[in-house]
Amino acid sequence: MSLEVKDLHFSYGKIAALSGVNLKLDGGAAGLLGPNGAGKSTLLRILLGFLTPAKGDGKVLGYDIRHQRPLIRRSVGYMPEDDCFIAGLDAVSFTSYFGELSGMPRQEAMKRAHEVLFYVGLGEARYRLLDTYSAGMKQRLKLAQALVHDPKLLFLDEPTAGLDPHGRQEVLELIKDISSAKDIQVLISSHILSDIEIICSDVVILNKGKVAAQGKLQDLRSIDYSLFELKVTGDEGLFRRELESLGCRVDETEDRILKVYMPAERDRMEIFRAAAASGVQVRHFVKSQTSLEDLFAQTVGVD
Amino acid sequence: MATIREKGYSHWDGALVERKLPWWPITRTGIQLAFRRKHFKFFFSVSFLPAVVFLVGIYISERIEDFKFMIQGSENLIKINPAFFKTYFTNDFLLFMMVMLLVFSGAGLIADDLKHNALQLYFSRPIDKKDYFLGKAAVIFFFILALTLVPGLVLFVMKLVFSGNFKLLTSYPWLLPAIIGYSALLTVFFAFYTLLLSALSKNRRYVTILIFAIYIFSDVVYGITFGIFRSPYVALFSLKANFQQAGAVIFGQRLPYAYPGYLSFLVLFGICAVSAAVLHRRIRGVEVIK
Repeated sequence: MSLEVKDLHFSYGKIAALSGVNLKLDGGAAGLLGPNGAGKSTLLRILLGFLTPAKGDGKVLGYDIRHQRPLIRRSVGYMPEDDCFIAGLDAVSFTSYFGELSGMPRQEAMKRAHEVLFYVGLGEARYRLLDTYSAGMKQRLKLAQALVHDPKLLFLDEPTAGLDPHGRQEVLELIKDISSAKDIQVLISSHILSDIEIICSDVVILNKGKVAAQGKLQDLRSIDYSLFELKVTGDEGLFRRELESLGCRVDETEDRILKVYMPAERDRMEIFRAAAASGVQVRHFVKSQTSLEDLFAQTVGVD
Repeated sequence: MATIREKGYSHWDGALVERKLPWWPITRTGIQLAFRRKHFKFFFSVSFLPAVVFLVGIYISERIEDFKFMIQGSENLIKINPAFFKTYFTNDFLLFMMVMLLVFSGAGLIADDLKHNALQLYFSRPIDKKDYFLGKAAVIFFFILALTLVPGLVLFVMKLVFSGNFKLLTSYPWLLPAIIGYSALLTVFFAFYTLLLSALSKNRRYVTILIFAIYIFSDVVYGITFGIFRSPYVALFSLKANFQQAGAVIFGQRLPYAYPGYLSFLVLFGICAVSAAVLHRRIRGVEVIK
C-alpha cells in the first residue's frame, strides 16, 4: 500500500478543511480532483508532513505521517504548481543541489542530475541559467528535481500548467512512462480532467473536505449512474422537473443538448415516459460514455 | 562487458544518506552564488585591506629600528596590544566593507527564495526550518569570519612569529578569546540582521537598500538625537556605536561612550532575538503548497 489515511480531520481555526477522509492508494497513477477549497492542498500538506492532522492516522510508503516525516520526504518527490527555481544556478547545479538535499552524495547527485535532465528533455539546455528558461522548461525542470533522488512516490501538483499543447503532450507522456514502466507511483492533483483521464487509473474526488468518490476510473464511470444525451422540443422546463423528480441530474450544454445523469437502478424507458407526460418530443437520444468531467460534475455537483 | 542501459529514465542504485550537516549544501551553494555576482571578488579582496595594513603595522613594530626614519617619533607609535586589535575590529572601513559584503552575499539569501517560490522545494526535502536557517546563516558566517576571525588570528600569530616570543600571549592571555568572542558577536549579529531583512521582502534591491539604510541611518539618528539631547545614551541607536562599545568591553579598553557597556550587548542581542522571532513567523514549512 503506497498511501493510506484513516479518518483524517484537519481544521484551519473554525473552518474544517478535512472531515473524516479515508483513502487507500496502491501502485500506478492516481488523480486527486476537487473544486477549490475541497481540501486537496491540505491533504497533500498532511501527506508531506507539513501539517499535523487533528484526528486520524495515515501512512505514506509505510511511514507514519505523524512521526516519520523526514523519511517520507526522503522517499517522495514533489513537483509544486508554482514556478520555482533558484536564480543564478543552471539546471545541472539546481537539480543536483536538490538531490544532495535529499541525501544523495554530491558526485552521485551531479551524475544523476545529468541523467534526469536528459530524460525530461532539458539535456541540451542543462548548462543554461534558469533565469532564462521558458515556462515549459521550468515545468520540466520541476519534474527533474522531483525525480533526481529516484523517489518511490511522486506528488505532482498541476504538472501541465502553463504548457503549450505539444509540451503538455510530452510531459504527460513522461508521467505516463514514469508511472507505468518505471515502477514509481504517482499522485496527481490537477484541474485539467483530461490529463487525469490520460494518465490515471485511480481517482479520488474530494468535495468539502470529504471523499466524494474514490476508486478505479473505469468502475466509477459505470457504477453510480448512466448518462444520456437528448435533444427535445416542447416544454423543456416541465420535462426537466419530471426527470429531476426521478432522481436524475439534468445539465444543458451550449448547443442545447440535455445531459441526463440517471441513477443506475432506473430504467431508460422512464425518460421516454417523462417526455410523454410532459408533452415533449425526443428528437435525439444517445447513451453517452461518461467522461471524467461528467463524473466530476455529477459527484461534486458543479459544471 | 559494459552494462547495456535502458534509454531514458533509469533507477538510481545508490542509497540516500542522512547527513551530519544537512544544511551544508545550502551554505556551499550560497557562497558559490555570492562569488558569481558582479564585482563581488573585487569588494571581497578590498575588504582585506585593513588586515594587510595592520599586518604591516605588526611587522614595523618588530623592526622599529629599520623604520625609525619613517615614523620619526615615539617608539611606542605602533604598540601591539589589545587596543591595536580593538582598533582593527572596530574601524569604520572594516565595518563598512562587512555591510558591503552582506549586500552581495546576504541580501538575496531568503528574498530570492521567496521571490522564486523555492521554499517549497527546500521543505519538501528531509530538512527542517532549523537546517534552512543554519545553511543560510552559515553563508554570512563564512564571509564575516573571513574578515574578522581569520585576520584576527593571522595578526595574532604573525605577531608571535615576528617577535619570536610568546610575550603577547603571556601578557594578555585573554586576547585570543577576545578575538574569537568579538568575531562571534559580529558574525551572529550580522547573520540575524541580514536574514531578517532578507526575509522581509521578495525584492533583493529593497533588501540591499534596507541593509545599507538601517546601518547608515542608525548612525545618523544617533548624530541628530545627540545634537538635541546631548545624552551619551542615544549612541544606543547606532549600530556602529554599539559595536565599538561592545568591542571596547571585550578587548578591555576604555569605553568610547559614557554609558554601561552591557547596554550595547543588550541592544545587539535584542535585535537578534527580534530577528529570530520574525524569521520564525515569516518562514513557514506549510508554505510548501499554497
